[in-house]
Amino acid sequence: MPPVDVLIVGAGPAGLSTAIRLRQRVAAAGRECSVVVLDKAAAPGFHNLSGAIVEPAALDELLPDWRSDRSRFADQVTPVERDELYVLTERRAVRLPPPLVPGAMRHAGDVTLSVSRLTAFLSERAARLGTEVYHGFAARELLVEAARVRGVRLVDAGLDAEGRPAANYLPGEEVPAAITVLADGSHGVLSSQLASLISSGLADPERGPGEVRDPQVYGLGVKAVVQFAGTNPFGNNRVVHTLGFPTRRGVFGGGFVYSMGPRTAAVGLILGLDWRYGDLDPRAEFEAYQAHPFVASLLAGSSLVATGARTIPEGGYYALGPLHVPGALLVGDAAGLVNEAKLKGVHYAMRSGMCAADAIADALLAGEPADGAGARYVRLLGERGILADLHRARSYRQGFQRGLVPGALLSTVGDRLPLHLHMPPDRQGTRPRARTARRPPGHADGAAFLALTGTSHREDEPSHVTLVDPALCATCGETYLAACTHFCPGEVYRWNGEQIVLSPSNCLHCMTCTVKCPSDNIRWRPPEGGEGPRYRQL
Amino acid sequence: MHCIVLVKQVPDVSNIPEDAWDTEHGTLRRGMLESILNPLDLHAVTFASRVTAASPGSRTVYLTMGPPQAREVLVDCMARAPGEGVLLTDRGFAGADTVATAYSLACAIRRIERECFDGSRDYAIVAGMQSVDGDTAQVPPQIAEELGIEQIAYVTSPEAGPAFELRRIGPEGTETVRPLRYPVLLTVTACTAPLYRSFHGARAAQRAPIHEWSAASVQAEPGRIGLRGSRTQVYQLFSPNEGKTRSCVLAHDAAELVALVDARYGRGPRQVPADADAPYTLAGQTPTYQGEFWVYAEPGDAGIRSVSLALLGKARQLAAPLGAAVGAVQVGAGPTSPAGAGLAGAAQDDLAGELIAHGADRVYVAEHPLLTPAIPSAHARAVADAVRRYRPQVMLFGATPWGRELAPRVAYASDCGLTADCTRLEIGDYAKGSVSLVAILKQTRPALGGNVMATIMTRSSPTQMATVRPGVFGVPPRDPARQGEIVRIVPELPDGSIGLEIVGVEAAAASSSIRDAEVIVAGGRGLHSRVEFHALLEPLARNLGARLGARSDIGASRMAVEDGYTGRECQVGQTGQTVTPRLYVAIGISGAVQHISGMQHADLVVAVNRDPRARIFDYADIGMVGDIAVVVPALVRATEVPAHAAR
Repeated sequence: MPPVDVLIVGAGPAGLSTAIRLRQRVAAAGRECSVVVLDKAAAPGFHNLSGAIVEPAALDELLPDWRSDRSRFADQVTPVERDELYVLTERRAVRLPPPLVPGAMRHAGDVTLSVSRLTAFLSERAARLGTEVYHGFAARELLVEAARVRGVRLVDAGLDAEGRPAANYLPGEEVPAAITVLADGSHGVLSSQLASLISSGLADPERGPGEVRDPQVYGLGVKAVVQFAGTNPFGNNRVVHTLGFPTRRGVFGGGFVYSMGPRTAAVGLILGLDWRYGDLDPRAEFEAYQAHPFVASLLAGSSLVATGARTIPEGGYYALGPLHVPGALLVGDAAGLVNEAKLKGVHYAMRSGMCAADAIADALLAGEPADGAGARYVRLLGERGILADLHRARSYRQGFQRGLVPGALLSTVGDRLPLHLHMPPDRQGTRPRARTARRPPGHADGAAFLALTGTSHREDEPSHVTLVDPALCATCGETYLAACTHFCPGEVYRWNGEQIVLSPSNCLHCMTCTVKCPSDNIRWRPPEGGEGPRYRQL
Repeated sequence: MHCIVLVKQVPDVSNIPEDAWDTEHGTLRRGMLESILNPLDLHAVTFASRVTAASPGSRTVYLTMGPPQAREVLVDCMARAPGEGVLLTDRGFAGADTVATAYSLACAIRRIERECFDGSRDYAIVAGMQSVDGDTAQVPPQIAEELGIEQIAYVTSPEAGPAFELRRIGPEGTETVRPLRYPVLLTVTACTAPLYRSFHGARAAQRAPIHEWSAASVQAEPGRIGLRGSRTQVYQLFSPNEGKTRSCVLAHDAAELVALVDARYGRGPRQVPADADAPYTLAGQTPTYQGEFWVYAEPGDAGIRSVSLALLGKARQLAAPLGAAVGAVQVGAGPTSPAGAGLAGAAQDDLAGELIAHGADRVYVAEHPLLTPAIPSAHARAVADAVRRYRPQVMLFGATPWGRELAPRVAYASDCGLTADCTRLEIGDYAKGSVSLVAILKQTRPALGGNVMATIMTRSSPTQMATVRPGVFGVPPRDPARQGEIVRIVPELPDGSIGLEIVGVEAAAASSSIRDAEVIVAGGRGLHSRVEFHALLEPLARNLGARLGARSDIGASRMAVEDGYTGRECQVGQTGQTVTPRLYVAIGISGAVQHISGMQHADLVVAVNRDPRARIFDYADIGMVGDIAVVVPALVRATEVPAHAAR
């Protein structure tokens, strides 16, 4: 078996762009380099969700022939022709005149697509180029030797509910690799282990002495795909963004509706996880959003066919994670490479993956040790304008934490001010006893929402979510209104009157709980490979 | 000992995306489902790895038939346990039914024997119970018939020890069976903890060579493969919801609810439309098939199994407009049950009398000493002999464990197609192009995990054969005055034709599964506590069982199990048990889709919930809105009296 030269953890747009560009480069140079991509989802795209209004430039650059590919992917990409921004009050919608829409929120020339489908397409192209893509394998931890990442260890499989090995027990395998690329997404399992590894001696080359890195902050996107049985009142080639309702004081967020073809549309709501209210239920907010007279009129006559939720790193420039450590590079959402002003993640995920691939290929083809790739990667992120874009948007989300009006003002001039606004971790945003007291407008059918995510887990495996100190949960109801029983879009946490009861098989792998538990009392580790949601068109 | 593991690529019917439903036609777009390794085949892979691990120097060959992309399932197997892969792929195989598939795979097995095992016949062919898309369980026994070998079905584990012996679930408990000849075909139950794919195994599997064999390369006769070699044909597909009474009747009080249950209990599954019994009229044409309508009389604890008696009633009803007679086929040693408990000679004639009293005009009794103990290959031979000799136009079997072992071999040996697990039978005509068929048997069965109904007709077969799901048709009234004829047959069974030996039977422990229950009372989170769960549900289950004369059991939603109200073995749903009782009572269950998928094929569904908008009411026939703590005790009181006494 050939050794693994480049191991990429996470088969999303970032990881697969890395793989594709790398294989293109080595093939062009007539060299060999084994590229292995691992992903915990059962099949390509199943764990990928985005409100994907995408600049196609990255795709054009990576695979110039993507529009003429024999797969049907290009048919499901919809160019944006109409682009509107509305401010919603409780009952009304006011359209912002186009000249007033900030440049970063205009989408002419963009396309809408499903990132699950984009991922499936990239996966197929990566495989055609000789990448080995393996689905259903979850990485549990980084292998670190002599202050250098040497690969990963996979999760144990075949444990019973008490953690005892069953007859088919398969201990977590080691996957050693010359260089590892962490593309494990928003609050990725491995990339979020780096902080503690760095504090225990793993070098973080990008951080100068005394330089403070802000904690990452996140948004939670809740999304659905709807199908129109008859007429489609929304129309095709259209994008609608909204501000205002259902958000309120202490909640940052916005909604969107966009076309995914003549009979299909996507609707979603993104809420900053620093929200103030312990009882804020993102699914109830999403339901309220869909029931708003304006949004309801856009979606009239449609029915839900797919649902899902996922966090988004929103901290921007100052919250960027380490971009490389000895033996490993971080790309895409795993590194926090999201431009919050433009609401663009997919674009930066792909472009950062291409930078990483070029850096590794340059080192490899020059016969240099792979460790040189880290610094080269950061240089390429700079040269190709990615860091500059993020730097320009550095105060955007931070401004909105201070409210809609200061945020809106700062968003127009923030890039010209010598500001470094700090944001505390999201969990600190929850205020004691703050209530939304939202009454869902219709019949919030949690069962239907969950079923449409397709999520499942083997129910007799050890719970992959755990409470560090269950006694702490007993006091949470008083102060933070048992926040996990509200914030989890998968209904993993329930209060039975005495304690928190876990339903880990509902989990959507969105990572909200690890970010938002006010007491930092929840731990999430990857369950057996192949589990979790099954997104096909989100 | 070497192993050949039979595997199949199937659509993933346990994860159906919402938009895979063709809402216009109520059917499923199969192309929108993931392709996976048939989940039950995982047990065959795991079982085979245990057999070969115990026998150094042995080889494992994974065999599948399908389009080129079916190689994925071979790679999947090899990532779990190393072996070689054989992909039988050829345009000529397309459209194959079980008969043509079994023949094609048997040809490949012969080539594997020659080339991979160097002519050694010391090997086992291992298969899963059935595929989740076809659900027929016909291919393995038909391969065994083609190869002239024994099949051992419902195998649970290889027995440790010097001799290769197997434990299987027999009709009267766990049997230990020893093959006397090799190769032998084993179908294994879902009782192993399936091996996981290992990462390094998956990498090696990507690089392992896979033999791609065409029809010609395995010397398959072109006339016996693919559509040309098939003896059944799908006539139409439709939604299982067609004819289903979707609307839920709401009861106002407990007494009304119980009265509704009494009136509708035992009326069969809902997917049988009301018009299924509309009689056929032969409009002066000549029927395509001639001969009698036959039913295989399966022995059971108390004489003949009720499914066989019910089929006699159905056969009479189908045969009447054609003026055809009804026959029953009985096999014995004298008479015997499949487990081998012999009955006295006089008892056999009693059984024949029973068959006549339930509608048989003629009872064919096949007798031979080698028919005890009951071995499927020998019994199949006896029945097939009779079929070939008398050529009935229809032959029906109960789709019991024994019937599903026997019928495929009978069909294969008598050159007939077979439709498995029918839930509806009718006589009808078929005309398309130059083909015009008169008074043929239309056989309707659930497919794709019950998500689609398929109506199938037999072609290129002298007899139309089907197995029928027990409980679908009612037992006709017994008429002791009926007269009939007994015909005795002696099948040709040379000494040494039996290739296996039953070396021991252990009576089954008194374990029962919720899946066997005819009445299930299931509770959800609406029960609020473990104590309430048991205090409310158990008396209701007990009373309903006594009232309806049925075996009753307790079920639970996943939420109730997670809250510790009851054990995991009671969980009904996608990740728990899939149940098809005659009556399913859902108490305080909201109706998560994953729960619905585990009980939606119950004959009659009753829902009690406090929330009138709960989704469970969309899937219920009878409902009641109210506080569980009030309604359930009222139901317990209302069901105190047995139904017949109440009338």
